[in-house]
Amino acid sequence: MTKRVVTTGVPRPRTLIHPGRFNPVRIQSHHSSKGRHVRLALLPGVSLFDGLVKPLAEIGITSASTTILGGYFEGLQYCVAPPDQQRQAVIAYSKPITAGHTYMIFGNATLGKGMNGLPLVHCHAAIRTESGEVKGGHILTDTCIVGRDPIPVLVTSLDEFELRQAYDPETNIPLLQPYKETTNG
Amino acid sequence: MAEMIAVEQGSMGRVAYARIAPNEDLVQGVEKVCLAEGFRNAFVRGALGSLVDSCLGTIDGKYLQIKGPAVEIVSLAGEVRSDEDGSLRAALTGVVADPEGNVYGGPFVPGLNPICMTFEVTLEEWLPAR
Repeated sequence: MTKRVVTTGVPRPRTLIHPGRFNPVRIQSHHSSKGRHVRLALLPGVSLFDGLVKPLAEIGITSASTTILGGYFEGLQYCVAPPDQQRQAVIAYSKPITAGHTYMIFGNATLGKGMNGLPLVHCHAAIRTESGEVKGGHILTDTCIVGRDPIPVLVTSLDEFELRQAYDPETNIPLLQPYKETTNG
Repeated sequence: MAEMIAVEQGSMGRVAYARIAPNEDLVQGVEKVCLAEGFRNAFVRGALGSLVDSCLGTIDGKYLQIKGPAVEIVSLAGEVRSDEDGSLRAALTGVVADPEGNVYGGPFVPGLNPICMTFEVTLEEWLPAR
């Protein structure tokens, strides 16, 4: 089925019904008084998850927004987001798709804290897979292994507040959300 | 016609992170984050999330619609500027992936990109030198 349509008329945006009660607060935001940036290199042989989390933790950064500036991975897995057949939520991630030896064209990853208190990385990226196809989706960061060359990352630290995963009743899934307290050093 | 400025010097200010909820529009949602945080000009520093469907503009004024749900935002760049009429205007461009992972790119059309599950965005305030 084609997912792509070109029209001359203005398409009507769709409003989807989520399983939970509508939350009247539509934007949750916090700010830091000053931007703090780090240039990070993901080192060969480490996972994308470890390559982000460990060096940043060592300098006291546990909440951050990062831009992955392109590079090769020895292996990479990603998911797409079709409608949830179980109808627990509007969409559910697919089973992992193995992309093989992959070039990540561009990625964004958010670092925060999971519901279990451990570091969490939420990453979406555009990739060129081993077969040469250009694809995009949700990256499984713990299974992505950096190739032989370091991959540069621009990190924007989120200070004076922190990102934590919390259950969102409206969508019925856990989501990263900003909270005033912080552990960034 | 307003004078076109090729070079604008300035400095970076505060950094804001926001989570925008389902069915809100992507472009106007980013403008509202600036309202919430008191930013008048800003650059997108990072963003990811999903859309119900995506609508991207074409050079001949048509609409490229990518059907979801969900359409994943896999790359996004852009800025928010304060207009001479006192309004805020976000211009966002990016790459999206359909539910089969196929990718498409272009400028996001304001009002036509409803968020599906969540949208996370980090904005860095831009302070033009006066």
